[in-house]
Amino acid sequence: MSKDYQMKAAINQKLIEMGERERLKELLRAKLVESGWKDQLKAHCKDVIREKGLEHVTVEDLVTEVTPKGRGTARRQQVVGTGQKSSCPCSKTEKINLVVQ
Amino acid sequence: MKMEDMPLSGPDNTKLEALVNDIYSELVEDACLGLCFEVHRAVKQGYFFLDETDQESMKEFEIVDQPGVDIFGQVYNQWKNKECECPNCKRLIAASRFAPHLEKCLGMGRNSSRIANRRLASNNNMSKSESDQEDNDDLNDNDWSYGAEKRAKKRKSDKSQTSPRRSKTLKHKNGELGSGISADPYKYNYNAGINYEMLGPDEVQSFLTTQCGVISEHTKKMCTRSQRCPQHTDEQRMAVRVFLLGPSAPVLPEADSVAVPESFDIPDGQALMSRLQWEDSPEISPSDSASSKASTNHSDSRRPKKKKPRPSLGLNSGGGIGSLSGGGGGGSSQSNISLSTKKKKPKLTAPSISSIYDDLN
Repeated sequence: MSKDYQMKAAINQKLIEMGERERLKELLRAKLVESGWKDQLKAHCKDVIREKGLEHVTVEDLVTEVTPKGRGTARRQQVVGTGQKSSCPCSKTEKINLVVQ
Repeated sequence: MKMEDMPLSGPDNTKLEALVNDIYSELVEDACLGLCFEVHRAVKQGYFFLDETDQESMKEFEIVDQPGVDIFGQVYNQWKNKECECPNCKRLIAASRFAPHLEKCLGMGRNSSRIANRRLASNNNMSKSESDQEDNDDLNDNDWSYGAEKRAKKRKSDKSQTSPRRSKTLKHKNGELGSGISADPYKYNYNAGINYEMLGPDEVQSFLTTQCGVISEHTKKMCTRSQRCPQHTDEQRMAVRVFLLGPSAPVLPEADSVAVPESFDIPDGQALMSRLQWEDSPEISPSDSASSKASTNHSDSRRPKKKKPRPSLGLNSGGGIGSLSGGGGGGSSQSNISLSTKKKKPKLTAPSISSIYDDLN
């Protein structure tokens, strides 16, 4: 287990060093906006805010409400969008594999 | 490279996949968090709900998604098939063509006056004959105005580029203008004539040696065409030269000022001969080619302006001119040069000059 942990840490570090992480992040953001995921999530946020009342909303509230939904829908979006078997876009997997090897 | 092509073994593969998934989840969470921060800031700053004002206006401006209608609910070509009656000509015009039609119909647009003028000009030119420039020379001369010149010039430009007249005038202009005024930029402007008041005496002299220079009654501008310009006769050109440079100092390219009485003391014989030759030239011209006629005109126009330092040589010059005019000219430029070299030319007597001047006026 610690080996996996180490490996994960190593990968992360490598990604950050290469600047790939940032690039992947931007890529992901663009794809999410394109697919409409962001607007969906924003609408969900609106509901939450209306529920909780405009004045008393906190970041933690939003995060706890919104993130799980976001995660789930993102996965589904990605699968639909790219049409790949895996939940991850293949290009990203390739890149990460390259890094690992 | 696809997933199937990965050279890793099975268990590592899944582990790798798991790792990759983890990384991916982290990225997604980052994105979510980013969104949350954005929304929270918007809420606290108060601009989150700005696009939702109230239900009524929301309903009013809802996006419409029906066929045949744009997103505002308006029909696109609703007015296309409608026809309007023009208040001026009482015709039924299609709606999309109504505005341009009104512009033309009422004569108030930017282009409408231009088009109308052009149409009038073309109608006038159609009614006249094509060669009226040569035939109705007198008519044209009396009525020569800036507008007619503009029309004539426009017609000229409308005519085919290969018309012989056009090439000839260009050739003359190119040949003569090189030796003529180089400092005067006005002459290249097709529409602008030159006001004789604007030029100094030297400029006038040099201008008149190369160009027609006949002054229009209406615009007081000098004709910038060549010496063979068909709109003006040689008499007019001579009169203009007399008028501008004084009867005592007609134009010569290399002329110096000569006293008045001397020029008037030409023996009658020479004057007669010059006059005779001048009158002969129209008879000669029909038999000769057009260029020879032009050259004779040139010689005629040149002759009266040239001063006469030596009367004896004037006879020779008279004879020389006669031979020149009789033989016709190869190129009129040649005759120009030959004529210009002859300094002695008999001048027309004063009475004839003044009579011509009266005619011009």
